Amino acid sequence: METFVQSVVSGILTGSLYAMIGVGLTVVFGVMRIINLAHGELVMLGMYGAFWGLTLWTLDPFVSILLWTPLMFLAGMLVYRFLLKAIIPGGELNTLLYTAGLSLLIANLALFVWTGDYRTIKLPYALLPMRPFGIAVPIPLAIAFGLAILITEALYLFLTRTDLGRAIRATSQNVEAAALMGVNVDRISMVTFGLGSALAGAAGVLLAPSLYLYPTVGEILVTKCFVIVVLGGLGSVAGAIAGGVLLGLVESLGAVYVSVAYKDTIGFVIFLLVLLFRPSGLLGVGKS
Amino acid sequence: MSRAAVAGAVALLLAIPFLTANQFLLHLGITVLMWTVLGVAWNLLGGYAGQVSFGHASFFGVGAYTMMILYLKVGLAPWYGMVLGGILGAVVSLPIGLICFRLRGPYFSLATLAVAEIVRLVALNWEALTNGPVGLLITTLPQVGFGSRSLNWESKAPFYYIVAFLAAGAMLATYGLSRSRLGAYLLAVREDEDTAESIGIDTVRAKVTVLALSAFFTGLAGGFYGLYFRYVDPDAVFPIALSVEMVFMAVVGGLATVGGPVIGAIFLVSVGELFRERFLVGHLIFYGLFMMLTIRYLPEGIWGGVRRALTTHASARHL
Repeated sequence: METFVQSVVSGILTGSLYAMIGVGLTVVFGVMRIINLAHGELVMLGMYGAFWGLTLWTLDPFVSILLWTPLMFLAGMLVYRFLLKAIIPGGELNTLLYTAGLSLLIANLALFVWTGDYRTIKLPYALLPMRPFGIAVPIPLAIAFGLAILITEALYLFLTRTDLGRAIRATSQNVEAAALMGVNVDRISMVTFGLGSALAGAAGVLLAPSLYLYPTVGEILVTKCFVIVVLGGLGSVAGAIAGGVLLGLVESLGAVYVSVAYKDTIGFVIFLLVLLFRPSGLLGVGKS
Repeated sequence: MSRAAVAGAVALLLAIPFLTANQFLLHLGITVLMWTVLGVAWNLLGGYAGQVSFGHASFFGVGAYTMMILYLKVGLAPWYGMVLGGILGAVVSLPIGLICFRLRGPYFSLATLAVAEIVRLVALNWEALTNGPVGLLITTLPQVGFGSRSLNWESKAPFYYIVAFLAAGAMLATYGLSRSRLGAYLLAVREDEDTAESIGIDTVRAKVTVLALSAFFTGLAGGFYGLYFRYVDPDAVFPIALSVEMVFMAVVGGLATVGGPVIGAIFLVSVGELFRERFLVGHLIFYGLFMMLTIRYLPEGIWGGVRRALTTHASARHL
């Protein structure tokens, strides 16, 4: 029983961060129909941001997130404006291949500049896990969980309560109709891509103290991310949150009750089954 | 392209091992040719049928492991193993195709990515068969004699000719496909799948067939990889990066052309290897960069761009 509770807890903690990465991918897909293969690299950049912030300026990752998130937002907008914008009219497969190129470019630049060494972030206050009710909860993951919930909640309020957020959702539902209602689709796309990148970067900063850092870590993360957004339905924010938590749970429970070696396989198998039988996602809210 | 040009290219290709004893150049030639096979094989599916697969590493890995396992456990000569590796790659592709081809466009791509990851994880964990992350190693290759002389496996020349033969075979298959009924079906599928279906083309069958052909050559290349490097492990032959690099050969060179992936392989692998020789890591920077530049400025690839420039130049001269 204790094992079960333990794996549920760690599943939800990790899942909250997966959810954050997934939400970034899914809003970008919703508005621009781009499946951003470079999304994992944006997370990787966030992780390295946290690492260098701590190493060079002894900035705690949970503080430097305040610096990296807006920077990633800006970087995302620039990437959209100067790189992606011209590609989008070429169709979904073109953007898919283009972002594959971008992903390889970023990951290998990082490999070139920062080498392939595995790095870790050690926080002095987080060497031992907390033990409420006998369940081990790693401190950095707990803080990250809290912040992830905060950020996701803020995003949700932004999308539902502000004009800009409503414009983003309108574009996501129907580009032409949104444009007819006076929404500047180009501007919305730029903001959305910035938003997606900021979420990826922020999630990277939050994940950094709990994972190994290496330049090609994005490859694994982005494949997990696809599992998440397809589970929840591509384009659906609520679906991505549910999908993220679900994948976290599947992985941690799978590792305990099925096999550690095959825990990642379970996610992919579910992914395939959902793609085949419920392409609109488990919640049925996404657009296929 | 004229026959003379083809004959000249083939002659030059065959002569290279006689012209140079430089091991690096020969290694570069072998690597370029191996990637040519992969790019050409991927292009059969991705270029002609328009189905972007991000999972071709599965077939490569299956080919490599088939050859290694048959040689190490049964003692089957590697060249037979290589051919069987191609065949097994094609066999494995059938269920994968039947599953993934139910999806279209980017969804197909994501599904192939997931399948490839599943295959990689299975190879990593099925230790009884694959020896897991430790990998498999061939210490000596069997003797092959031509009359009184035996083949020198320590030199690179035999490998060069083997892979040149594979590349030529893959290109011939592409040429044959592009002039066949199946090729025409595939173009119809690529341009508009619903219309192709409505005029009576069995689209799933056409796609599964070309995937099997593509997987066959990818598997052969995998078998060759095992023969040449004599060592395989799951990270070397099943990674996502390998699937993605194959795509780059074809797209940068020119989709749906016979020569495109060759140009792509020569160009990308040469740049990449020269960079790697100097800096060790990060040679894929250029792959990413050239991919982005190609899609933005030269959507028909280097080969397509050159061909267009030549034809417009020629027609301008006639005017």
